[in-house]
Amino acid sequence: MKYFRRVGVSVPLLLAISLGVFGLIHLIPGGPMAVYLSSPGVRPEDLARLTRALGLDQPLWRQYLQWLGGFVTGEWGFSFSDGRPVIDRVAERLPATIELMGASIVMALVATAPLGIIPAVGRGWVSRGLSIVSFAGISLPVFWFGLVLQLVFAIGLGWLPSSGRTTPGDGGAMDRLAHVLLPAAMLGAVHAAAWARYLRASIADTLEQPFVNAARARGVPPGLVLARHALRPALLPALTIILLDAALMVAGTVVTESVFAWPGLGSLFTEALARRDYTVLMAMLMLASTAVVACNLVADLLYPLLDPRVRA
Amino acid sequence: MTPHGWGPTFRFAFWWGQTFRFALVLALAAECARNAVAPGPTNDLLIVGYDREPDTLNRFSTHILEDIQSCVSEGLTTTDEQMNVVPLLAAEVPTLENGGVRMRADGRMDVTWKLRPGVKWHDGTPHTSADVKFTVDAINDPSYNPESTDGFDRISSVDTPDPLTAIVHYKEVYAPYALQFVRGTLPKHVLQGRDIDTANDYNRSPLGTGPYRVAEWKSGEFIRLERVADYWGGPQYPKIKQILFRFIANTNTRINQLKSGEVHLVAMFPWDKYREVAAIAGTIVHRTAGNAYEHVTLNEQAVPAFRDVRVRRALMHAIDRELIVKTILEGLAPITNGPIQPVSWAFTDDTTTYAFDPARAKALLAEAGWGDGKLSFTLITQAGFAVRESVAQVLQKQFRDVGVDMKIELHDGTTISSVWFEGKFEAMLHWWQMPADPELTLFFAADRTPPAGRNINYFKDEALTRLVYASDRTVDRAERKRLLGLAQQRIAELLPELPLYSITKLDAIPAGLQGFKGNPSNAGIFWNVREWGLR
Amino acid sequence: MRRGRLAAAVLLLLIVAALLAPWLASGAADTMDLANRRAAPSLSHWFGTDELGRDLLARVFFGARVSLAVGLLSALVAGALGVSVGAASGFFGGGVDAVLMRATDAVLSVPRLLLLMAAAAVVQPSVPVLVLLVGGIGWMETARVTRAAFLQSRDREFVLAARAAGASPVRVILAHLLPNASGPIIVSMTLAVGRGILLESALSFFGAGVQPPTASWGNMLYQAQTTMSTEPWLALFPGLFIFITSVAVNALGDSLGEASVSERRAPA
Repeated sequence: MKYFRRVGVSVPLLLAISLGVFGLIHLIPGGPMAVYLSSPGVRPEDLARLTRALGLDQPLWRQYLQWLGGFVTGEWGFSFSDGRPVIDRVAERLPATIELMGASIVMALVATAPLGIIPAVGRGWVSRGLSIVSFAGISLPVFWFGLVLQLVFAIGLGWLPSSGRTTPGDGGAMDRLAHVLLPAAMLGAVHAAAWARYLRASIADTLEQPFVNAARARGVPPGLVLARHALRPALLPALTIILLDAALMVAGTVVTESVFAWPGLGSLFTEALARRDYTVLMAMLMLASTAVVACNLVADLLYPLLDPRVRA
Repeated sequence: MTPHGWGPTFRFAFWWGQTFRFALVLALAAECARNAVAPGPTNDLLIVGYDREPDTLNRFSTHILEDIQSCVSEGLTTTDEQMNVVPLLAAEVPTLENGGVRMRADGRMDVTWKLRPGVKWHDGTPHTSADVKFTVDAINDPSYNPESTDGFDRISSVDTPDPLTAIVHYKEVYAPYALQFVRGTLPKHVLQGRDIDTANDYNRSPLGTGPYRVAEWKSGEFIRLERVADYWGGPQYPKIKQILFRFIANTNTRINQLKSGEVHLVAMFPWDKYREVAAIAGTIVHRTAGNAYEHVTLNEQAVPAFRDVRVRRALMHAIDRELIVKTILEGLAPITNGPIQPVSWAFTDDTTTYAFDPARAKALLAEAGWGDGKLSFTLITQAGFAVRESVAQVLQKQFRDVGVDMKIELHDGTTISSVWFEGKFEAMLHWWQMPADPELTLFFAADRTPPAGRNINYFKDEALTRLVYASDRTVDRAERKRLLGLAQQRIAELLPELPLYSITKLDAIPAGLQGFKGNPSNAGIFWNVREWGLR
Repeated sequence: MRRGRLAAAVLLLLIVAALLAPWLASGAADTMDLANRRAAPSLSHWFGTDELGRDLLARVFFGARVSLAVGLLSALVAGALGVSVGAASGFFGGGVDAVLMRATDAVLSVPRLLLLMAAAAVVQPSVPVLVLLVGGIGWMETARVTRAAFLQSRDREFVLAARAAGASPVRVILAHLLPNASGPIIVSMTLAVGRGILLESALSFFGAGVQPPTASWGNMLYQAQTTMSTEPWLALFPGLFIFITSVAVNALGDSLGEASVSERRAPA
């Protein structure tokens, strides 16, 4: 019952968010007309005509209401830059982003486990070394890391393509896999580093709890203590962050997609932002908000399952 | 490295130096040893690393003359590597001499276009004067939203006495008439009676007359062009079967793709990448003297001191352009002294120039009452443009040397456009890409401040305004050249803005590419793509 | 504990170097030598020179002033905001939780890039403004993890006992719940330091960051990306210092976390 209410709350929440982001994108200087300004042939009468054609001569509140009316009825409008339906532009980019997100989450999860667990339970060089690796992941700027990956694996060794999603004319499974490895590694590394830090901290914390000590006192072997008692509750804070990051990936892939010329939502966002393509921006921002709201809902649903001490 | 100070410090520094050299050698060795994963360019396939995805392939709807479009759709004329107007779908360029241009006593003007016979649209329909007329009517029809109606709105009507003759009647003299149809024509038989704004079949894959047609457009990834079967230019054209434009917005990535061989050609890459690109095996850098010029705009409306010509001259004397060009620009771009570049027929070098002379700058500032650190302003420029950020910082230092305090503010490109259009800035470092036909009115006439024009110096001089308007009202080349020469002299004398250097375009092309000529104007390098071929 | 002390010493050293930059490298950070651009590390320039021939070592010192201020202080701002929101939400639950968490979702769902660009249009850039901006958009993660940790321990015996004994909510939060949540809170704040340093460079792009010729580690790194394959040291040194700072802050965080755990266990 509670969760039905929670879903119900999401509707006014998304409405408020839409009003907020609508205000924000209009607060940014420059508008959809800015691209025309440096073109000498575009004269004031051309600008006035184009402004009218896009409906930008209307007062802002009316533009918002028109957008909202269209959005809820599934009419997301047309892109200011290429005139195609917004829904088409977003839909054709979605698979690429899901592919990249999926691959990077898998890579991040695989990396998180050793990076988070070993430094929490172990001592000595291995665990210290793994800590340092995750520090590197935290402090490396993504664009920098991405370029290094290109220099090493695409140019230096020539093993992998430097960017793009497919080789034009190929696009088979192996080709796709080869293309996704570097960007997914870049995106995954950043997340893995942060996730591992949380996991390490919460495992270290849980290992000090009375019920774990009790288990130890009963003579349960350390590995089993970890697996049966410490890991599950320790996952809770880490899970909060993992779901948070997953939801943020629409915006979080912007840099990765730019560095690797990945044809997903991140690069569409960059284009739309540079162009001040309001209709495309609004649609993408609403998608992103819905994802955040949904993922946090899922996180709250999962808490009691992981740790019985949390009341549903 | 200086030989004094042998000690732990030196050894430490020496070690650093050696380590770096070693790392460099290693990187170089790795580059040489790389496996060739990607095939090189051939007449079967040329891959272009392109910095953006076009919004539309309809040449009248987009905000720039785009390269991909010019492979598909052809103009009646185009501009060549010397910026001469040359016929393409027209049999010849109409002029006063050949009778193509007729001045009427009432100030109106007629231009007769003779079309090249035998030209067919890609679907086999002949290209005729009806298409020319349809194009003019469509653009002047309020239901279609082209980017610009400039020039078209001065046309009263078009007569089509026969399929290969179109007589365009202008309401007034229009000097750049020869470039009126540089974007080509719209196919009447495809677009008649339709809403062109939403005609996405045409806008995404236009029916043209050019050597290529759009075979595939994968959003966010690439556009693949394919040679058309019986191109009007003859069976020898075009030589390259397929051209693939890959969209790679990030400059570093684009250059990395060039290095790995995944793309073969990158147009207009930044100067600070010159040495890196020049070192790529199998790639050569083609330089084209450009028609754009980098300069500092001085907003007289916002900064009263800029209204004093002595202040403007002082600032010019304070800048060591020689040094900037030699170091930051690596000698790639020549110093310029005005808005019209040597590549244009209207260029004159018979103008006042201002040598680097800090003492003179200080004296002029003192004379104008702005000496001793009294003058202070903020310069805006585009963020993420490394060369520009460097030049701005050198200007800042050189101005400080003569007692002028200049702050720097970086903004993203779109913000910059609207900031200057609204006149909300004090000074700006940027370039204008000038049209192939010389255009000073838009930038310097007193009444062409935004929104009516691009006079963002807010500079007002009656004599100059008269000169530039007079140059627009004549189609006689010699007379125009004289008037534009006088205008250039006036501009150099009064110095409404500070010219720095001419923009040299750098294009990275395959070493085996023949027929590549480059292009200084915004017609782009693909204007003669049909002649390109690989050895 | 030794590791914690070492980390604190490194951090202190960096802060001192930043504070003393004007004396350590007076003027050198802005002195151009265009004939000697992008020179490799050498005796006269230990870290080499940048694209305008300025000494990179001096610029790293000066860059530390901006980067450390923004990184450390914004993490404190974000931590304070995040802990307050997360604690209130986790402790009171119900309506308070619903309102606060939905507000967090709202802020979270707007890309930071957009928030920063909009903010850049409204405010004039300065270091205090940067601290508030970067902190103001980085608190949500801390809020979520604080709340999650509170939910875990809210109903445990020692908390219930304290509440039954009539302890005020503030006291229960400060004395019982917060120490138990310190692990994830410390991690989120230490992560925020590195992110803040990097975010500052993105801000320069929208006219809200520090403007040239002022150096920060972030904008030095950003500048260096065009020359990464030809002059790698330009990217290496600022990157190295961000790395060192991040390691120090995280190691310090770890030992603080361990300390709080053993403290908690002491009275039990």
